Amino acid sequence: MNKILSNKKAITVFMAPAMLIIVVIVLVPIVISLYYSLLKWDGIGKATFIGIENYINLFGDERFIASVKNSLLYVVLSLFIQLPLSLLLAIVVSNTKKLEKFYVTVFFIPVIISSVVIGQLWQKVYNGDYGLLNVLLRSLGYSGHDWLGDEKTALMCSFIPNLWQYIGYHMLIMYAGIKSISTDISEAAKIDGANRFQTAMRITIPILKPIIQVCVTFSLIGALKIFDLIFVLTGGGPFQSTEVPTIYMYKTTFDQMHYGYGSAISTFVIIECFLFTAILRFIFKNREDA
Amino acid sequence: MKKRILSVLLCTTMVASMLAGCGSAAEAPAAAPAAEAKEEAKEEAPAAETKEEAPAAEASEEEQITITIWHQSVADTDPVKKIIEASVDEYHELHPNITIEQDGVEGEQYKTKIKTAFAAGEAPDLSYMWAGSFVKPFVDAGYLLPIDDYMNPDVKAKVLPGMLAGSTFDGKVYSYPTITFLADLYCNKEQFDAAGAKIPETWDELLDAIDKLKAAGYNPIMMGEKDLWPGMYWMDIISQRCAGNAGVEAAFGDPTKFNSPEFVEAATRLQELVQAGGFNENYLSTSYTEMVEGFCAGQGAMLYQANWVHPAIMDDAAATKGKVVCVPFPEIPGTKGNKSEFSGGSSDGYYVNAATEHPKEVVEYLEYLSEKIGTLGFQMGAGLACWDTSSTDLSALTSLDQESAALMEQGTSYIGWWDNVLSAEDSDTYKQLVAEVMAMKITPEEYAEKMSKLSPSEFY
Repeated sequence: MNKILSNKKAITVFMAPAMLIIVVIVLVPIVISLYYSLLKWDGIGKATFIGIENYINLFGDERFIASVKNSLLYVVLSLFIQLPLSLLLAIVVSNTKKLEKFYVTVFFIPVIISSVVIGQLWQKVYNGDYGLLNVLLRSLGYSGHDWLGDEKTALMCSFIPNLWQYIGYHMLIMYAGIKSISTDISEAAKIDGANRFQTAMRITIPILKPIIQVCVTFSLIGALKIFDLIFVLTGGGPFQSTEVPTIYMYKTTFDQMHYGYGSAISTFVIIECFLFTAILRFIFKNREDA
Repeated sequence: MKKRILSVLLCTTMVASMLAGCGSAAEAPAAAPAAEAKEEAKEEAPAAETKEEAPAAEASEEEQITITIWHQSVADTDPVKKIIEASVDEYHELHPNITIEQDGVEGEQYKTKIKTAFAAGEAPDLSYMWAGSFVKPFVDAGYLLPIDDYMNPDVKAKVLPGMLAGSTFDGKVYSYPTITFLADLYCNKEQFDAAGAKIPETWDELLDAIDKLKAAGYNPIMMGEKDLWPGMYWMDIISQRCAGNAGVEAAFGDPTKFNSPEFVEAATRLQELVQAGGFNENYLSTSYTEMVEGFCAGQGAMLYQANWVHPAIMDDAAATKGKVVCVPFPEIPGTKGNKSEFSGGSSDGYYVNAATEHPKEVVEYLEYLSEKIGTLGFQMGAGLACWDTSSTDLSALTSLDQESAALMEQGTSYIGWWDNVLSAEDSDTYKQLVAEVMAMKITPEEYAEKMSKLSPSEFY
């Protein structure tokens, strides 16, 4: 077996299908969209090559900058609300004596459900007339609120379902990590007199560090690419208050028919993702060395 | 141990990315039949050429043709959906060698899908197109086939006068009309009576009706501004009342004319309605579908929409069945517009792909389908007639259909929905501005000033 795996030809042969798929599905579209981003094109008629004009316009476009700010806010929420909650759940669930698997399944359910379904679900929660939230508030004596129709609340309200949906995903990854920690260690800690909180803080979390790094990366990239749920919930409105770059890209490309400009935005999102991933790796690496 | 965790992780990511992949791949199968059909057609093309002289009967035995059609009629209450679906079998019976494959996708998604399909060369033989600025880029890019050479004069003669104008570009006809639409004000008579309000004919009566309806505990107007275009319809017609259709047409040709007292007044009037509490409370987060459903469930006394809402209003399950009247949008005294000027009048239709292998057969089906939708659709209340319906039994028309058809006859001037007149980008800007006007985020003066920066429309 080792002999085969060290044979370069064999490696090439085995890698070829995967590489082919990656090239065709990932790399080629990126390159093509990079090329489109240099065009002034309505997606149907003739295209004119205009160099980096789309990019110059992009950075002077207030609507675009606002959308980037929105997505960065969501990144912060993902990292500082979603992940800590996932970690907490993972630790608690892994310490549960009864129904452990049941809880894992329950928390994982939102991940399996299609985002469109979740969007519809939360739309009904937020609905101003008969929404669950308003009905609850009214029964407590407060007045209702048009959650997704008010600029001030729409952004937060469209982020919450996203945060909620992927908590289970990160929890599962962390849970798998916790379960793979040898019980010897925690038992040793118990004998030394550590309580559960101390075990979690001093033993579980430090050992879990590589897993947490993976979750941070996933969460960050996922936050930058967020599209579907917001699209279903608000479609970027009201007054562009919930627009993130991906939604703005969709609108410029398909509603305003600026294919080139839309491609420039998608290129920006790709570069943004690469950049953040690189920064994360750099940070993690430095900390490991330290 | 670490390795095991890693492998678990890798598996998880792989599954996740595969699932993610499924989402975008889902559209591929839909496009596949079109591509397949084309390939089939290509193989058979040489055979067709050699047999061109042969009688039709022989050809029908030999040559199997598949015609693909994409449309946006998906609502179960939409008669057009039923007509298209029924035409698949009917047409196959009439022409056993021809198989029709139809595929419907909801409106906004359809717009994206059809653009992508044409760009990728995977468009169907026949595709639904909105009139005006939606179809024009496709015509300009040469994606669509002028059908003059294939048109059957007998069929052409059945189209009402002037109705081919909407699908004629540079003197060439690209499609047949189907049904046409007119935007009217729909009033729930039951609620008006209960509130003691009068069906409005003038602006003051409209404001008065709003007050009375509110006082009686009814929501005066249903609005679904989440989708932006329902609000646009209001601004369209109020502007047409304030400036007159001629004034609006002049502004389309020279947008600097948007920065004039007429259009400032239009925006002021719209804000007046908002301030009077005319619209449902959550109109900014209400979608078009929710708006129509809401009106049909009796959640609003007025709805300003085109007559494609008739089947929903007259549905057996609707609270509004038989209780709604339709009237022209109220006049505004002292302005240039009047009641005989309407929003609408344009006809959407089905257009032939320039790359089709069987233009003759496709146009024949187009003629068949357009006339079917034009007559049956009218009969079933989907829209107003663009075809000679003198031999059609119209006894099944609802009161709403008849009222709406009568209004159409009074009409002297029509302007299509503004987002079909303005370019795609300007339409988006206009719709956003209307939403901002409605939410009082900009003043009428700012609105008029911003509208004057649009580019001239290609149609005026």
